[in-house]
Amino acid sequence: MPGKHLARWTLSWFASALSFLLAALALAVPFAPAPGAWLEGRGLALVHLLALGWLSQMMIGASLQFLPVLLARPLPWPWLSPLSLALTGVGTILLALGFIGLEGGGTGLLALAPLPLGAGLGLFLLMAGGTLLPAGGWRDDAGRPVLLALAALILTFASGGGMALAGTGGPVAISPEALPFHVGLGVAGWLGLATAGVSYRLFAMFLIAPDGGGRLRRITAGAALCLTGLLTLGLGLAGHWPAPGWLLPAAMICASVTAGLYIADIAQVWRSRRRARPEVNMRMTRPALAFLALAALLAPVAAIDGRFAEAAVFAALVGWLSGLTLAQMVKITSFLTWIQVFSPRIGKQKLPQVHELVDDAACRRWLGLWFAGAALGTAALLAEHAQGLRLAFAVLLVAALGIAREVRAIRRLAHLSFAARPPVLPPLFLPQLRMDPT
Amino acid sequence: MSQPPTHDLDVRPLLAAGEQPFDRILETVSALPPGAALRLIAPFEPAPLYNVLARKGFDHRTSQRGDGDWEVLFTPKAHPPPEAGLAPGSNPEAMFWPEPAQSLDLTGLAPPEPMVRILGALEEMVPGAVLFALLEREPMFLFPELSARGHEWAGNHAADRASYRILIRRGHGE
Repeated sequence: MPGKHLARWTLSWFASALSFLLAALALAVPFAPAPGAWLEGRGLALVHLLALGWLSQMMIGASLQFLPVLLARPLPWPWLSPLSLALTGVGTILLALGFIGLEGGGTGLLALAPLPLGAGLGLFLLMAGGTLLPAGGWRDDAGRPVLLALAALILTFASGGGMALAGTGGPVAISPEALPFHVGLGVAGWLGLATAGVSYRLFAMFLIAPDGGGRLRRITAGAALCLTGLLTLGLGLAGHWPAPGWLLPAAMICASVTAGLYIADIAQVWRSRRRARPEVNMRMTRPALAFLALAALLAPVAAIDGRFAEAAVFAALVGWLSGLTLAQMVKITSFLTWIQVFSPRIGKQKLPQVHELVDDAACRRWLGLWFAGAALGTAALLAEHAQGLRLAFAVLLVAALGIAREVRAIRRLAHLSFAARPPVLPPLFLPQLRMDPT
Repeated sequence: MSQPPTHDLDVRPLLAAGEQPFDRILETVSALPPGAALRLIAPFEPAPLYNVLARKGFDHRTSQRGDGDWEVLFTPKAHPPPEAGLAPGSNPEAMFWPEPAQSLDLTGLAPPEPMVRILGALEEMVPGAVLFALLEREPMFLFPELSARGHEWAGNHAADRASYRILIRRGHGE
């Protein structure tokens, strides 16, 4: 059908992202730096494997699938998706290797990494912007934060690339004073606002709640604009003029206010739901939002104390964003798998329900373990306890392996009876060349 | 090009009986099969109709008869304009489809349940019959399945964007 494309590469994005998560956690157990030392090579490598390889690839894969659904507008140039996936993957690996090179071994890869990374992110921006802008995304309650997130992604990449080149003595250099603003734009701006924007629609859909939007959402978007503006100002000043002392604390207070407004909004969606008993992905969204609240409380202190900064970033990246992403990944994978396998059979035979593809109890157990690891890690960073932090990564690794196993079981329809399974299953994570309704 | 089938409508008896013919004309136009033309006979030139039917995709040719009355032939344009506000991919001829044989209110259902009900209902319907459904959002996952099964559809958001309306005409496939 002309103009109606469904993203075919979503599960490839998910598989790549999940591989980055497992790799980062497996490396963190033996190699994680002690609290306070996360700005050295190994720490930067691990953070970027998580933020770019895992969270950004998940966010990109999910956006390319759901932006067209949420905005009722097809994605332009959907064939760019696999190219973007390969380039962001290669770029992230080069970046991580480059950071490790900072500890001895040369910084050549660090100078090289921005090329594939920039190309991969640029292709994603083309597709996402090409959907959002013609659809008038800035008029839409969910579109506004996503557009801000895309702007923050550009600034995060530009500042990160600038700092990477500064480390190698390149011509375009950005002073390391830009670092807190780079982190703020990456975590709160790009990942945070994109997650918030997409969640407005997805949560309303999963909870069967009115997709109202309204005044609270516009105020939240205003706070988010203020946050992005202050962080951008800090980035612009860095290395040229001394940034005023109030700038970073003001930005962090803005971040806390934005988070508070967003949580209040989601709580309202939760209360107005028509689904009496939410599914496991939404029940396990509550602890993720508790980590967002924790990160929001830590953020203003983080502006003046590095220990709190590490804990706030960890709570946001691991507790909130990763926890939420893992919970929704289970749901999205089961939904897409159901559509892929069973939609050609609707009305022709008795079909299983989507939730029968998922083992709720197992998901709840692994996600619970994930949040326990996230809590342990945040506490270890606050207490500056190196062994505690390693232990937290071990717990997170076990939980992630458990969830990865569940996702594989969903793809293989392993929880269905043999009779309910079709004779031929779709590929595990590569796109199906042809839908075959046999 | 072969002559399209032509339906005749003489509104002179209606006017003589003191009735307004406008609704009757629109009803007749709505019931026309795709490609069909309408020959309208009236005691005066029905100029206000020209714009209304042009928006529905008709050209007109007017002539005055020997008895002084007017005859207008409305023929479908070669490429009817897409109905304003219809989602891309919609069939622009949906306005010529018969009245829906079945209506489904699918608000308050979580995906993929609306899609399951729609495709299930279509399986029970006869080819050519039309289904109307009210949904909470545009059913993006439904469209590829409709086209794979040979069904045609037209849909759009309600003005407040709080719901989505879709008409689906069952295809002639299996």
